[in-house]
Amino acid sequence: MNTIRRSIISAAAFATILWLMEIPALAQAPAARAGAPRRMADGKPDFNGIWQALNTAAWDIQDHVGQLGVPPGQGVVEGNEIPYQAWALAKKKENFANRKTADQTEVNCFLPGVPRITYMPFPFKIAQTSKAIAFSYEFAHGLRIIQMEGNHPDPDSFPDTWMGDSRGHWEGETLVVDVRNFNDQTWFDQAGNFHSDALHVVERYTLTDPDHINYEATIEDPKVFTRPWKMSMPLYRRVEKNMELLEYECVFYLQEERYKNAPFKK
Amino acid sequence: MSRRFSSAIMAVAVLTTVSLGLLMPVNGQTPAKVATPAATPWTPPRTPDGQPDIQGIYARGGVGGLAVEARESNGPHGAENPLDATASNPLSVSDRPDGLRNIPKGFNVGGTPVAGPAPAEKRRLGLIDPSNKVLPWKPEEDRNRRDFLKRTNPAASLRYVEYDARCALPGLFLGNGPFEFIQPPQEVVVLSEYSHFTRVIHLDGRPHLGSNIRLFNGDSVGHWEGNTLIVDTTNFNEFTAFSREIPYLSDALHTIERLTIIDQNNMDYEVTVDDPKLFTKPWKTAGLYRKVKKGYEIMEYACAEGSLTLENIFGKPPSR
Repeated sequence: MNTIRRSIISAAAFATILWLMEIPALAQAPAARAGAPRRMADGKPDFNGIWQALNTAAWDIQDHVGQLGVPPGQGVVEGNEIPYQAWALAKKKENFANRKTADQTEVNCFLPGVPRITYMPFPFKIAQTSKAIAFSYEFAHGLRIIQMEGNHPDPDSFPDTWMGDSRGHWEGETLVVDVRNFNDQTWFDQAGNFHSDALHVVERYTLTDPDHINYEATIEDPKVFTRPWKMSMPLYRRVEKNMELLEYECVFYLQEERYKNAPFKK
Repeated sequence: MSRRFSSAIMAVAVLTTVSLGLLMPVNGQTPAKVATPAATPWTPPRTPDGQPDIQGIYARGGVGGLAVEARESNGPHGAENPLDATASNPLSVSDRPDGLRNIPKGFNVGGTPVAGPAPAEKRRLGLIDPSNKVLPWKPEEDRNRRDFLKRTNPAASLRYVEYDARCALPGLFLGNGPFEFIQPPQEVVVLSEYSHFTRVIHLDGRPHLGSNIRLFNGDSVGHWEGNTLIVDTTNFNEFTAFSREIPYLSDALHTIERLTIIDQNNMDYEVTVDDPKLFTKPWKTAGLYRKVKKGYEIMEYACAEGSLTLENIFGKPPSR
């Protein structure tokens, strides 16, 4: 009798252990946490944290080979084709040839625009409450406040901006950000892919698990492209303990270099 | 019985003296009411993680632009010299010995519209410690600073150009926002329109960054005590300034800020500036944060992208 009871208890214990091992937190497997994203108090998915793209889109958003200083990469453009109008394709090639002097982000540390700032090789922070969402970028301390109320300003009376005017809303679990009011001064990458001041970007941020965002950006610019087109990429949470944004102040660094022997003869 | 009576008289006498001190008329105006203990304190709502909720967009005044120490005219520039703080010098700030001043109606460049009335009680603005209003400079560092200022107009080299004329991150003191406060869990995040920067104040008990990481805006950790947010900031680099009159601080800078909720629209601000390389002891200055009118949205402030300042001062640098 005792032996049978002990056997049953042992079997039950063994089954329990097997069952417990199915729970990710207790399993041996490390790496990305399985399960649903965290939620804010208002029920929305919680994007708070520091994120970074891990691709080579900053150099070239399309498929490209490696060169000295340029890592090779598969593109982030769906279909790998950017539907330029004929004049614009020629302009893009001219940009590419002149990129060492014409790319204002790389040459002067100017703001990279949207979506390029998302995939610059630097982390960025999403600060989210039920009332406000802000994206803070380590590159040149870029800042985008995603207005969750109100409309885009009137483009005829309001100044164009480098980073656009961002208006956000929720579609189920997805944060959708509509961006307009751009100037024409930014490129999509170092390869000379460009746009006009008619640029309209729609971003979609969706948490696929607590540590990954699926990021999509639809690009529309009737002055430059024949139709809208789309980029997509995962964004990875920077999970290091006490991770924080530091400062990459390339404007300051460039000044120190360029003006170190100032004043110059006029 | 008689001892208690005389103690009571003493207490009344002390209270009266203190109250009269606070009621000192300023500029010939009638004294403001002192808030009595019976005045209902503002109880702010709470964020989901229990912080007093101060979220919103604020204008700030009273922090920089300091020129309240002993006057001294410095050479040919006369009234243009920031240290020559006379009433006619637009760079000078409060001359008043009592440290109190009227709350300005709108104190941001461009006149950011503020929400709601000013606090009922006059606030302290500008230098509040030391009370004699003479900054506790190390004498040789004060001399260095005055010599430095002589070479700023025109700028003798890049080093003598004011940091915010270079579009540098302005640190804790330069610029005046407006500032949008948002409070995700375990953080206070301050977004500044001026210079489009973000300050993150960590409330999760983490330590400061290692000492080899130096930042324009420093590294901030904080905690709430009642309705006061206390922020401790270290890890500054050597490229910070307090004001035009104090054009540099050192990388030994350590600040302690106290932000105290007054009512739903206003917050008192005090910052202790502790820079042992430049000063013999810490000093303290005060400001005021006032919420701006609903509907205000922070705009893009693209500084470097539009700036010709260095080229105008020095000429075009030789191309690479």
